[in-house]
Amino acid sequence: MRQPIRWCMLLAAGLVGLVWTSNALAEIAYVTAKSAQIRSGKTSLDPVIANLKYGQAVEVISRGERWVQVQTTSGTKGWIYDNKISSSRPTDADNELASLGQRFRRSDPSVTASAGARGLDKASEEYADRTGITKPHRDAVDRMTTYKIPDEDVQEFLKTGRLGEYAQ
Amino acid sequence: MRNNGTSAGLLAALGCVALFSLSGCPEIQRVAEQAARQSGDERLARAIHGTGQVIGGLLPIGPEEEENIGQAIALQVIARYGGVYGNLDLTRYVNLVGKGVALTCDRANMEYRFAVLNHDSINAFAAPSGYIFVTRGLLNAVQNEAELAAVLGHEIGHVTQKHILDVIQRSKQISGVAEAGLAYASRNPDAFKNVIDGAVKKLLDEGLDQGKELESDRLGVVFASRVGYDPSAYLTFLNRLRQIKGDDRAFFKTHPNFSNRINVVQNALRVQGVRPGGALLADRFSQRSSGKL
Repeated sequence: MRQPIRWCMLLAAGLVGLVWTSNALAEIAYVTAKSAQIRSGKTSLDPVIANLKYGQAVEVISRGERWVQVQTTSGTKGWIYDNKISSSRPTDADNELASLGQRFRRSDPSVTASAGARGLDKASEEYADRTGITKPHRDAVDRMTTYKIPDEDVQEFLKTGRLGEYAQ
Repeated sequence: MRNNGTSAGLLAALGCVALFSLSGCPEIQRVAEQAARQSGDERLARAIHGTGQVIGGLLPIGPEEEENIGQAIALQVIARYGGVYGNLDLTRYVNLVGKGVALTCDRANMEYRFAVLNHDSINAFAAPSGYIFVTRGLLNAVQNEAELAAVLGHEIGHVTQKHILDVIQRSKQISGVAEAGLAYASRNPDAFKNVIDGAVKKLLDEGLDQGKELESDRLGVVFASRVGYDPSAYLTFLNRLRQIKGDDRAFFKTHPNFSNRINVVQNALRVQGVRPGGALLADRFSQRSSGKL
């Protein structure tokens, strides 16, 4: 009886070691593009099976010439274009420090509210007043700030130019 | 009663200061400052406020502050370069090329926006937070989309490397330089104006230092090639500029000379292992810009 138990224990330990080693050796990559798609095959004609966000981690399974086979943490396996991932995580450490610095320096949150969605901010308006910037130029920055092109339009533009993952 | 209240307030303030010093948390700093003020000790409140300012001044400029600075600099760029060129189709085209390049740049999670300046000179500028400009003159000198992509990649490089923010934080000529946010958040528009004026002078008159320009040259061609544009297009464009500008001293006041830039780009392509070949898209550039410049 004792002998089989010992063998079972050794086998279990071996399996644990194997799993640990394979996890430790697993190659992790991070999405460095604004957004990225996992496709079922390694061409841009294959259907999209998952959408990934900037900074998201995936496990690399294998590498083709321009496409990399990956698996997400939720288990979805597929192919991603190689210029959208990197072995190094996008560096947000500096941004965290910057946000902390901003919180220290801010005394009136309404002044530094993000301007992205609503055009020219209060600080720039005041600056324009003090430097005599005319209304047409203020309006130009305002339009620039709120100018949006949907990501799908950019993808379509790349597609018609056969750029990026649409090159093949 | 009053004495007891004051002592309790002071004790609370000192406790908060200790916590604030240990944790570096701005919220605790504000609570400490408020407690000291309520206890009637204005000096202590000001000292706590000052400590927060010192810490804040040492930390990098935050994303919302970057947006504020970017907008203010953009106002000056537009005002000094003839305003924005009003052709909407051309603006959309330049934005599509730029946003395509920005998708896989080194700071892809932020918004980039592009505008054409109504000016004949050959020039391009980048302000913090992704405000990027090319002149009508530059678009006239460009011959295909790959060249435009590399030029926009160069400007995106200035943004990803936070070159202007670095100038602001390092400059010793501008007072309160590291505190652009502080300057106006403390309701001091004069200080904010000083910061922006100094940055604009550097960007438009003196030029960034050559190391920053060369770094953006390297990045621009790498960003554009990641999308699939032919990396040699940027070399062709720099060579054309060398012929157009010749020995233009005003230009070289703000940029490294072309031979240097071409060498740096060639080295970068070799070191980064950038594959030769790719798209030029001369026809698409011609169709989208023809008759609009």
